[in-house]
Amino acid sequence: MAERQKIDARGAFCPGPLMELIAALKLADIGDEVDVWSSDKGSASDIPAWCAKVGHAVVETSEHDGYWSVVVRKAK
Amino acid sequence: MSSKPLYVMLCSGEHEKIQLAAMVASVAAVSDRPVEVFVTMNAVLAFERGKSPAERYQGGHFHEMFKTQNVPDAIELFGQGKMLGEMKMWACSMVLDLKHWECDKHLTEDLFDGPMGLAKFLADAETGELVTI
Repeated sequence: MAERQKIDARGAFCPGPLMELIAALKLADIGDEVDVWSSDKGSASDIPAWCAKVGHAVVETSEHDGYWSVVVRKAK
Repeated sequence: MSSKPLYVMLCSGEHEKIQLAAMVASVAAVSDRPVEVFVTMNAVLAFERGKSPAERYQGGHFHEMFKTQNVPDAIELFGQGKMLGEMKMWACSMVLDLKHWECDKHLTEDLFDGPMGLAKFLADAETGELVTI
């Protein structure tokens, strides 16, 4: 059964949140989701661009109080 | 399908330029792009084995902010690029000769794939895109 993991990367600067996401995806199973929380403004566009490049799926992106949540599903 | 390889020639010893090189190389490597980094001139000094971050990184407007805020360490970023992507790092053989250094004795552990001459790096770089920092 697919799982969703949360990574709280708030406070980390570029490219820290992206690198934390990638490390988590390496260990995840296909279909699992990782929800990255980032206060780095670039993450909301960087993470979807990275997913489009390497072939993972962005499930949702949402802005909260001072941070963004980007949910990524491991697709390969 | 992999992208065209990226070749990074890092020659500056300034903190913010080493940081930029680490960001460019590591993000490209984890984006399915093969990366090769050639470290030469003053930049080699930042990779001396056993140095503390305070000794390793010098100069640039953002130097103090990098140190006091939660910015990823450049050496660690290079290491993540190698671990999570396809990335190789080479130390300039001329600089090593001048300093009487060897990669596996005098440079940061587990980062460099070996020494390399400039002609070989430039020849390899013809297959991709070359960025000099």
